[in-house]
Amino acid sequence: MFAQSVLAESNSLYVGDMIFYLVSLVILMLLVKKFAWGPITKMMQDRADKIANDIDSAEASRNEASKLAEQRESELQNARSEAATIVGNAKQSGESQRTQIITSAQSEAQALKENAQQDAEQAREDALKRAKDDVANLSIEIASKIIHKELSAGDQKALIDSYIEGLGKE
Amino acid sequence: MGGDAYTFKLFGLMFNWTNILSGLAVFVIVFFLLFGLSRKLTLKPTGGQNALEWFVDFTNGIVRGQMPAEYAPRYSFLGFFLFIFIFVSNQFGLILQFGWGGHELLRSPTADPVITMTLSFSIMVLTHLVGVAQNGFLKYLKGYVKPVAFLLPINLFEEFGNFLTLGLRLFGNIYAGELLLKMIAGLALPDGHLSLGVIYALPLSVIWQGFSVFIGAIQAYVFVTLTSVYISHKVAEE
Repeated sequence: MFAQSVLAESNSLYVGDMIFYLVSLVILMLLVKKFAWGPITKMMQDRADKIANDIDSAEASRNEASKLAEQRESELQNARSEAATIVGNAKQSGESQRTQIITSAQSEAQALKENAQQDAEQAREDALKRAKDDVANLSIEIASKIIHKELSAGDQKALIDSYIEGLGKE
Repeated sequence: MGGDAYTFKLFGLMFNWTNILSGLAVFVIVFFLLFGLSRKLTLKPTGGQNALEWFVDFTNGIVRGQMPAEYAPRYSFLGFFLFIFIFVSNQFGLILQFGWGGHELLRSPTADPVITMTLSFSIMVLTHLVGVAQNGFLKYLKGYVKPVAFLLPINLFEEFGNFLTLGLRLFGNIYAGELLLKMIAGLALPDGHLSLGVIYALPLSVIWQGFSVFIGAIQAYVFVTLTSVYISHKVAEE
C-alpha cells in the first residue's frame, strides 16, 4: 500500500495532501456545523428572540400600566365631580324642603289661627245671641211680672190703642 | 526544516506524512475544542459557552464588516470555521513540533505552501461559484469588464493575484515564524547537545513565540477578512 515510504524530493507537489485536506476540511465543516455551530447559533438566536420579546412585553405592560393609571385618574375625576353633584343636589333639595316645610308650617299656623279666630268669633256671637235671648226673656218675664202687677184697665186700654194706632200708621 | 519529509504514494498520488499527521491533529483539536465548548448550552451562558459565543460574535463581526448585511448570515459559518481552523493550525506548530530521524512529522499545517494554496484555491473557487449563483453567469462575466472594458486583463490578473497572495501571505508568516523559532532553538542546541547558548536562546524563544501567537491570530483574522471581501465583491451589486 505505502509503495514508497521514502523521502520525497522537496519540490514535488503533494496532490494527495491537497485532496486529503479538501476532503477532511469538508468533513470537519459538516461535523462542526452539526455539533457546535448549529446549537450555539440556535441558542444565540433564541436568546435574541427572548430578549426582543421581553423588551416588547415590557413596553406593552408599561403602556398598559400607564393606560390604567390614566383610566383611574379619569374615573377618580368622574367620581369626584359626581360626588360634588350629589352633594349639590342634596343641598338644593334640603333647601327646597326647608322652605317648603316653613311655608307649609306658616300656612298651617295661619289656618289654625284663622280657625281659632273664627271659633272665637262664633263663640262670641253665640254668647251674644244667647245673652240677647236671655235679656229678651228676662225683659219679657220682668215685663210680664210688672204687667201683671200694675197694668190697670185704663192703662191697658191706652196701650192697645197706641198699638192699634201704630198699626194704622204702618 | 521542512525540506525533506517522509512521503508515501497511494493511488498514484503523493502524500506527505508531515501534512497528513499535522492536519489530522488539527482537525481533531478543532473538533473536540468546539464540541467541548458547545455542550450543555443554556439561555444564560456560562463558562465555555460564553467563550464560544464571544468567538462566534467575533467572526460574525469580521464577515459582517465586509459585506452587505443581507449576505452576511450566509457566510458567517464559513468565516467562523476558517478562522478557528487557521488559528489552531497557526498555533499548533508553536506548541508542538515533532521530528523523527531529522525529518519533521508534526508542525503547523499552514507552514506548508501546498496547504495554504489549497485553502486559498478552494476559497477562490468558492467566490466564483457564489458569484455565478448569486448574479447569474452573464452578470458574473460582466464583472470582469467593470468599470471599463479595457481593464479586463487587470481584473483577470487581480483574480490570480488574490489567489496567490491569500495563500502565500499565510504561508510566509507562519513558515517564517517557525523557521526563526527553529533557528533560535538551534542556538541552544548547536550540535544536538545543550550548550550555554540556552541562556540567551530561551528568552528569545519565549519572546518570539509570543509574537508568533500574535501573528498567527492576525493571519487568521486577515484570511477571514479577505475571504469575506472577495465573496462580497463577487456577490454584491456595485
